[in-house]
Amino acid sequence: MTIPKVVHEDSGAVESIYLRSFKPRLMDWQAAQVFAMKNLRIAIRYPANFLIWGILPLLWYAPYILMMIAIAGPGTSQHFTELSGFQDFVTFSIIAVFVYQYVDKSIWSVGNNFRWEQFSGTLEPLFVTPVPRISILVGAAFSDTLQCTFSACVLLVISSMLFGVTYAFTMVAPIVVMLTMMVFALYGFSFLIAGLILVFKDPSVLTELISNITYVLSPITYPIQALPSAARYAAVLVPSTVAIITIRELAITGLFEPISFFQASILMLVLIIGFWTIGILAFRWGENWTKERGSMGGF
Amino acid sequence: MTYQESEAYQRMWTRKGLRSEIRAAWAISLNIWKIELSYPLSVLWFIVMPFLWFIPMLITGSAVAGSSESIVLNDLAGTLDWVTYIAIGTSIIGLTISLMWGTGFSLRREQNAGTLETLMTTPMGRSTLVWGSMLHNLQHGGLGVILQLAAAILLFGVSLNVWGILPALGIIALAIIGLQGVAFAITCIVLLAKQGWMIVEFITSGLLLVAPMAYPISVLPPILQYVSNASPLTWSTEAFRGFLMNGLAYQGVAQAVVALVILDIIFFLAGALMFRYTERYVRRKGALEQF
Repeated sequence: MTIPKVVHEDSGAVESIYLRSFKPRLMDWQAAQVFAMKNLRIAIRYPANFLIWGILPLLWYAPYILMMIAIAGPGTSQHFTELSGFQDFVTFSIIAVFVYQYVDKSIWSVGNNFRWEQFSGTLEPLFVTPVPRISILVGAAFSDTLQCTFSACVLLVISSMLFGVTYAFTMVAPIVVMLTMMVFALYGFSFLIAGLILVFKDPSVLTELISNITYVLSPITYPIQALPSAARYAAVLVPSTVAIITIRELAITGLFEPISFFQASILMLVLIIGFWTIGILAFRWGENWTKERGSMGGF
Repeated sequence: MTYQESEAYQRMWTRKGLRSEIRAAWAISLNIWKIELSYPLSVLWFIVMPFLWFIPMLITGSAVAGSSESIVLNDLAGTLDWVTYIAIGTSIIGLTISLMWGTGFSLRREQNAGTLETLMTTPMGRSTLVWGSMLHNLQHGGLGVILQLAAAILLFGVSLNVWGILPALGIIALAIIGLQGVAFAITCIVLLAKQGWMIVEFITSGLLLVAPMAYPISVLPPILQYVSNASPLTWSTEAFRGFLMNGLAYQGVAQAVVALVILDIIFFLAGALMFRYTERYVRRKGALEQF
């Protein structure tokens, strides 16, 4: 976009039609697009990262699978089958690890986006631009989703080959629909985290805390029935839980059940609306709180 | 009287010997504690971290085992009690990560704070900065081990053999020497690559993957079993758990101690030499304060 400029000879001030006609908006999609492109351009400069993020999570999740094998023997256990309804716990876990990559990304990348801008020294210039902050976050979230999709697919392919598991390829369409809804819900979740990080600053500890609690509540290497009853309710509030359960069902059984898929979609829509509302409110509160104390650029 | 004639200055320049280095390392360790404790969230994380790592493993184990006993594990590792096996094994994770990341990134942390060059101009040994950080991380990670084991005993019915506590601490002391070698190597990566966290993540996660913390190494693919046998973390985890589960009746003590001593010598010498040459190289290049 080119912005025509008018230079007043007497004052030397620079004005633009954009600034003159500017009215505060809830969302600026063009700014989101520009920001996403900027982030993608930086990401493409480091192509090895895409591959590394496809391999590194394997080192984190493989111990769980190896532990299951050490306790129950290779592949299956009667108790696990009774609890989850699935035979093979390796197949059960790997697809969930794939879906969980999006959660991890939303916490570590999007939630921490402004913190990384702060480290780069670009946070304050960004915050004086006349665009809604949420559009900056949406842009960051979009570019991270693209990067994550690539890395998560690499992870799924490598894990499937290493552990010898297969999934129903025919279910790709409903899986993509469910994944997209989950990603939208996660955007709201990451806005919430971004607001918290603006307030608390120290990203490593807060992010670790949120990341680990989310991991415990997510039914990745165990079915949700394995959690204590109170934790099960909390688990449903994590945007990925419903998605993991639905996607796993689709990918492993290869059966599409319209009623249960519709129910899961309704629940995801509720989560999307809920998390976007809470996320935007929390982020705005965090932003105002930080601005009032003048600690925006502080470490 | 000029500063150079002052008693503090004279004392500083005449300082020498191991005692002075230990005092400097202790001061560095206390300094890191002060910084960490000034962030309330860090304190909270420090307390809950051992549980948050252990709980998913416990739930996963329960989901596949269905009870607190596992016949498969008994065949592989000689114990039915998988909860105790995993609780003791994984209690070292926090200590290992603390030593690798905390110590390995000690110079980088000072660099970010803008104090690295100042510290490098003090008359303490160059490696004392890394040793001081190790001392802190030993306390930090050690407290984490105690917290996790205490919680496992109180909440999950894990039982430890009290006669094995002292020998287990001896094993930790042996393990630290080898792990300090790895920490020196990580420091070199950080000094050369500046960020280098991805390489460090691969090394740390790789070592944790091949260590028998939550499973015996017999479940690993054969090639990884060879790698596992060459890691000091493997022998220290086995011996630490062996002593805490079986007390003085632990059978594999001689093999574990011999393997640990050999690996300690190799890892420590290699790490210390790498650090010595890298630190000199970086200073010669004038890249110490580069980001």
